Order: sequence, then structure tokens, then C-alpha cells
Amino acid sequence: MSLLKVSRLSKQFGGLNAVQNLSFSVEEGMIFAIIGPNGAGKTTTLNMLSGLLTPTSGTIALNGQDITQLTAAARCHLGLGRAFQVVQPFPEMTVEENVMVGALFGARQSKQLALNQTHAVLEQTGLLRLKDTSADDLTLLQEKRLEIARALATHPSLLLLDEVMAGLRPKEAQEAVELIKTVNTSGVTIIFIEHVMPVVRDLADQVLVMDYGTPIAEGSYHEVTQNPQVIQAYLGTDEDAA
Amino acid sequence: MKLRMNLVLLALAAVLLFFLPDLLKLFFDKASVSYLSLLINATSLAILALSWDILARTGQLSLAHAAFFGAGAYSTAILVKQTDVSLWLGLPLAALSAVLLALLLGSVTLQLRGIYFAIATLSFAEVLKAVIQKLPSSLAGGAAGINVEPLFRPQFIAGEMERWEIAFLRNESYFLLYAGLLLATIVLSLLIESSSLSYAFSAIRTNEEVAAVMGVKAARFKLLAFVLSSMPVGILGAIQAHRIGSVSPDETFNVGTTVLALVTPIFGGLYTSLGPILGALGLASIEEFLRRTFSEGYLIGYGIVLVLSILFMPKGIMGLLRSLRKAQRESL
Repeated sequence: MSLLKVSRLSKQFGGLNAVQNLSFSVEEGMIFAIIGPNGAGKTTTLNMLSGLLTPTSGTIALNGQDITQLTAAARCHLGLGRAFQVVQPFPEMTVEENVMVGALFGARQSKQLALNQTHAVLEQTGLLRLKDTSADDLTLLQEKRLEIARALATHPSLLLLDEVMAGLRPKEAQEAVELIKTVNTSGVTIIFIEHVMPVVRDLADQVLVMDYGTPIAEGSYHEVTQNPQVIQAYLGTDEDAA
Repeated sequence: MKLRMNLVLLALAAVLLFFLPDLLKLFFDKASVSYLSLLINATSLAILALSWDILARTGQLSLAHAAFFGAGAYSTAILVKQTDVSLWLGLPLAALSAVLLALLLGSVTLQLRGIYFAIATLSFAEVLKAVIQKLPSSLAGGAAGINVEPLFRPQFIAGEMERWEIAFLRNESYFLLYAGLLLATIVLSLLIESSSLSYAFSAIRTNEEVAAVMGVKAARFKLLAFVLSSMPVGILGAIQAHRIGSVSPDETFNVGTTVLALVTPIFGGLYTSLGPILGALGLASIEEFLRRTFSEGYLIGYGIVLVLSILFMPKGIMGLLRSLRKAQRESL
């Protein structure tokens, strides 16, 4: 059984079909990439998966359980973690407190256990020495790490990452790739949206390509980058070509 | 650790408050009466402000304090009028009715955010007021209100001619009651601050969507905050009803209660236990000072003070203290 199964998912905003008839499944342990030009519906898809948007039609099943109607918090409790494209730390809290929110309410454990787990996650993401820093004072790379740390603290079995590489320098992106690999090795299945193609090549076991809200190809990195339809989608809007 | 230290400080404050009426008599003799009434004002303002702040920590701006205050006052008044049970039963009953009201109205309105929630809660007091006026006056007193038996005997000063009401108001046992309620509210606030609730509250306040994705059930926490915030105000309404000696729709469901409940913590500093208390002490003293200095139109001066404080210390007294401490550290 697939860890995540998305069937005929659609989302309309007024007359706009942001996502149309999208089906895919993700196996446990996999790193799954969703790519496509701007406006392809990738973030909309992630928002429907994490419960921030209600689909117009279609279903989402996690571990065989239909979660389409569940709230974001309930999905989090079932093991769905999410890091945002635009980093949104809680600015009035320290790094440690930010992660504690996930450890307390996502993973639902006592304060002492949550604190231990928070420290483990901060260690893993390289933020431990910054734990008492205000989240307002972090660099972009640190903010991205915090974004991942908070999601990890909720103890996810499936982690959704929305363009975590955006804005990072190549060396920083490489560090982030290593971090994602480590997280995956520790048993977390990952779905990520990415524009930076070398990152997709290095990480993804499976790639789904979207354009204008519909899936146009799915397969290994090698397969999809040879696909004529994909090449056309990218060349049509060359600002997104990488 | 921090909680334990705060509780020790609070215990010391409790001892001080207990002996405060006697200390005032020692230092100010007859004038102690007006200091005691100033303290009662400051204490009840602090209870309003601190309880309001508890909900504000989740990012919801409530204009419902007059409703909770009135619910507490009226449930006590009706209980005392209709039954022969102990007067003291009115206080837990007041807490209960405020909590039930918060549960009922909160579950309907807390999904609204920001200004929409504020407007919805503003109507609570008006609706309750209208209901009280429409109820048969044998039950709830109608527009004229109900007299409420005092909890304590009046205190007269030998050789002074004065009105009964004043002698009632002076009874220092009331001050102890207010102080006790304030201490209980502070304990509640400190417990919230040191528990995991504080993480949920500030996560919801800063970004409800992100909080939800991280597993925080925002609706449930906001309702809990609303209920906790309503409880002290309900009891305050009941104590005030006994001390003033009556309830009436216009006096008891006064929009002024609602306004003070939010102005005071803003003046003192939001989202802390200390801020609303400092705000209450500050505002009550300023008001008293202005009233004595210009007996006519002192409220204009009060308004000017509020406007200036918003302009020059937008984060309240706490914000001012924080920036002073920071400046001091940097100059070292």
C-alpha cells in the first residue's frame, strides 16, 4: 500500500483550474519531487495535501485512511509534516520555542519529552547553538533549517517541503540537500517542490511534472527530462528553465 | 524554576496586601479611606486587564468583558434575591455563568478573526442587557435593577456624619476580597505562561495557519483561553454587585468595562502577567490624580494621557522598561 495516494484531485479558484485531475502515489521511504513552471499548481497541491485548502473534488489518502476532510492539525497528528516556501517562523519566539510548538502539539508529548526531542531535532538540523536566538535574527539558510526543524519536530512520516532551496547559494543548497538525505535515511518519506534541477537530480527517486494544473509526466529524473512535453513546457516559459 | 520564584514573590505580595489596610491607617490615618478606594479601583482594573490579556495572547481581541462582568453580577443578584442560600454561593455561581456564556458564545464566534471577532463580542453585552430588560421584573428587576445585600457590615467612623453607602464601601474586607481575586488571576496567568499553553497561544497569535500545520488545534485553545479569561471577570462582577449594593442594566453592562479591559493591558504591555497589572496601577493613579487636580473635565486630561502613551510608548510600560534595560546594557 502506498503511503500517500492522491486520486483525481482538482482545485478551482473561481473560473481558474489551479489543479485538475491530479493522481499520483508515493511509496514509503521515497523522495518524491514535484516540478513544473510557475503557476503549474505545485504549491496549491501541497496546500491541499496539508489541509490548508479544501479540494474542489478528489481524495487524498494517507496510509490508506481518507484524510480529505480532516483539518490541518488532524493531518499533522497522522504524520504529515510541512515546511513552507516563504519561511514563516514565529518571530516573537526563540529557535527552541519555535521547534517546541511542533514537538508539543504535533508529536503530542509531555513538555520534558518535547524538550528532549526539540534538542535532537536542533542537533540534526545544525541549529542547536542558536537555540536561544530570536527567530527574527536568523539568516535565510538558518530560517530554512528552522522551517525543516519545526516540521521534523511534529514527528512526520511524510514531510512536504516547498522550495526549500529558493534563495540559497549553491554551497548552502548542497548543505540542505545533505540535510534532506539524512532526514530521509532516518525513515521519513519526502515530497518536495523544487525549481533547481540539479537538486532534483541529486535527491528525487521519482519526479512528477505539472503544467497548468495537470500532470504531464511522471518517472525518474532521467525519464522526465527526456520527455518532449516536459521540454516544451519549460522552453515555453524559459524563465523557469534551469 | 521561574514559576516557583514568581509564586514566592506572589506569596510575599499576598502578605503585604493582607496588612495593607492597617498599614494605610498607620501612615495616613483618616485619609487612608481614599487610598483604600484607589487601591480597590486599581485592583479591579488589574483583574479586568489581566483576564483580558489571557485571551489576547491567542491573538483574539475581545469586547465581551462587560458581558461577563454583567453575567456574574446579575446571576449573583438574582440568586440572592430569589433564594435564602449563603451570599457566598453567588461568587462560584458568577464564575460558572461567565464560563457558560464564554463557552456558548465563544464556540460560535471564535472562528472569526481580528476586527470581526471584536465586533461580534461587542454585541454580547447589548444582547444580555436587552434580555434582562425584557425578563419579568419580579425575576430580574427590569430596567430599575435589583438591590444586592452587602457581604460585609458597614464601617462607620466615630463622630463623622456620613452616608450609609460610603460606610459600606469603606469596609476593608472588600479590599481583601478584590486582592484575593487578583492574586488568583495572577496565579492563573503565571500557570498559563509556564505551561505548554503559552507555546500554543503565541503560535496561534503569530500565525494560525502555520500553527495548525504544526498540529495546534487553534479552535480548541482559543475557546479555552476565552473561558479562562471570562472566569475572573464573572467573579469580579459579583463582588462589585455586593459592594455597590445594586445591579441595573445600564450600570452593570457598561461599555466602559469593555474599554478599560483592553486599554489597560495595552497601556501596561500586552501578553505578560506584569504588564496589565502595571497598567492598572498606572491608569488608576493617573485618573485619581487628575480628578483631584481638575475636578471638572478631568476625563479630557485622561484621554490626552492615553493618546500620548500610545504615541510614545506603543508597547506600553513593559516595552518602555525593556528598551530602558537594553539601553542600560549597551551603555555598559
